[in-house]
Amino acid sequence: MERLLTNYYETSSIILFGIGFATLLLHSNLIKKIIGMNIMDTSVILFLIAKGYIHGKASPIVVGEFKGVSEYVNPIPTSLMLTGIVVAVSTTAFALALTIKMYEKYGTIELDEILEKGDE
Amino acid sequence: MTIIKSFPLIGVLILFLIAFIMPLIKKNSVVKFLSIASFSTCLVLFVVSLNYVIHNGSYFYKIGHFVAPYGIEFSIGIIECIMAVLFAFISLIISWYSCYSIEHDVNESKVPLYYLLINILVGSLLGIIFSNDMFNVYVFIEISNLASCGIVVVKDKKENIRAGIKYLILSCLGSGLVLMGIAFLYSMTGHLNMTFIHENLINSYMNYPQAIIITLGLFTVGIGVKSALFPLHTWLPDAHSNAPTSSSAMLSSLVLKAYIIFLIKVLYRVMGNEIISETPILFVLLALGSLGMIMGSVLAIFQKNLKRIIAYSSVAQIGYIYFAIGLGTELGFVIAIYHIIGHAITKSALFLCSGSIIEKTGIKEIANLKGVGKEMPYTLSLFLISSLSLVGIPLLPGFVSKWYLAIESIGVNKLYLIVIILVSSLLNAVYYLPISIHGFFNEEQSSSKLYKSKEKSVKELMPITILVIAMLYVGVNSEGIINLIKTTFV
Repeated sequence: MERLLTNYYETSSIILFGIGFATLLLHSNLIKKIIGMNIMDTSVILFLIAKGYIHGKASPIVVGEFKGVSEYVNPIPTSLMLTGIVVAVSTTAFALALTIKMYEKYGTIELDEILEKGDE
Repeated sequence: MTIIKSFPLIGVLILFLIAFIMPLIKKNSVVKFLSIASFSTCLVLFVVSLNYVIHNGSYFYKIGHFVAPYGIEFSIGIIECIMAVLFAFISLIISWYSCYSIEHDVNESKVPLYYLLINILVGSLLGIIFSNDMFNVYVFIEISNLASCGIVVVKDKKENIRAGIKYLILSCLGSGLVLMGIAFLYSMTGHLNMTFIHENLINSYMNYPQAIIITLGLFTVGIGVKSALFPLHTWLPDAHSNAPTSSSAMLSSLVLKAYIIFLIKVLYRVMGNEIISETPILFVLLALGSLGMIMGSVLAIFQKNLKRIIAYSSVAQIGYIYFAIGLGTELGFVIAIYHIIGHAITKSALFLCSGSIIEKTGIKEIANLKGVGKEMPYTLSLFLISSLSLVGIPLLPGFVSKWYLAIESIGVNKLYLIVIILVSSLLNAVYYLPISIHGFFNEEQSSSKLYKSKEKSVKELMPITILVIAMLYVGVNSEGIINLIKTTFV
């Protein structure tokens, strides 16, 4: 329990990941599924950025003079997650576009109703 | 000769660059020509680099001349080059076939976009195969994820959108898990380059026994969803059977395989034999693979739609590949690679044949396809030859991999595995052979049909014929290919 509390960034990101995963899998509403997908992506972003954070150090932007490598937080996870955000945005956009198409064709966005209508 | 070292990168770049020229062009014939030209250039480049690697050994290619932990690396070895040649060859053939039939499936104004997606898809798959950097692989996985959903929904019918959204949701789930796995690896080692992760893990893996198992689980489930490992395959039959013919050939012969190559890389390049032998991961892969071999075939027997049968058979064949990986021996690994090659060629031939049958007759249910052998004798013969390979008739690649799998099962002292291989082959025969038998020898139905009345013209059959010839070559020359793959271990 204490280990979970000291690493509260990781704990909360894993809990968020679980919430997102369950929403993505269990809800039948497509919009909710997409929200779940976003929560899942965000949790990974939180996890990796927390990994790069070092307590008490400056953000890795050199203003004025360079203070030495040990004075900044790790910039790599942050820059990786920039790519991660771009990927998440494009996937969300694509999924939303497909949801609109789905609504045009079937008249509903509940996945289980759509699956029931099936092969009419 | 340093320019040859850059060929793999040039191939990937050519595909991406040409892809974005396509939507600017108005004439569809020019777009088709561009697509074929880019794939053939890639094929030539990769054959040259395969030849280079065979003679000079594998190497790491630094992109932008940044040294390894700071920059992105491509690792180019024999297996990567064989896969690249295979991917370029099959995508060339499929896009050649699609030149004649794509208007049948896709609205004419969307044809340039379709070829854009195909080029991006193949480019990103080649990226997954070559890249030696975990995050780079993740980006390529996401690109291929969107592109492969795109080529499913491009047909714009009701079922396509439904299959596409199912596919998109499940593969987003898969890539989320893979990303979490990469995050775990990064937090354990502080590296993203596979070689460096391995060096760090080898020294420190005893400190994280649970984290290693969780990471392996995340990767296995994530990649398993994407490559249709048995209980996670539910999206596959819908997506593969509703997509346009050339897309389903592309999806089941190439897309699934690239992810499996990535899993192999995670297991052997990132973790290494020492670590995975302490976890039950190989046994899990073996068990799920065997289940897939049996259940994929059983489910296929109950299908009525021709393309769905072939789609379910993909599940069974993916089971074979995981089975071979799960044996955990050197020969098992070689057979996994060999089966990827054999299955990629066979399955694309099967999908193209069934696509032309459906396109010409307009019938999707196998019950109504009796007597089709009289109308389309050549197409159905090609279908028969490819399905014989999956059933496991000697000389064809399916037989070779089953034979070596059986030998290797004896080698690791698990004789009951042979039973699974035999049962799975018999089940394959149960659903593949009736299609051809009823097609050729159904007297009452064929008497009313005209001989060759619906046959495709010779130039449209050429791509499938070349695939079948390539399949025969892979089968007959199996020893050469297997020895070539084995040289990577020396």
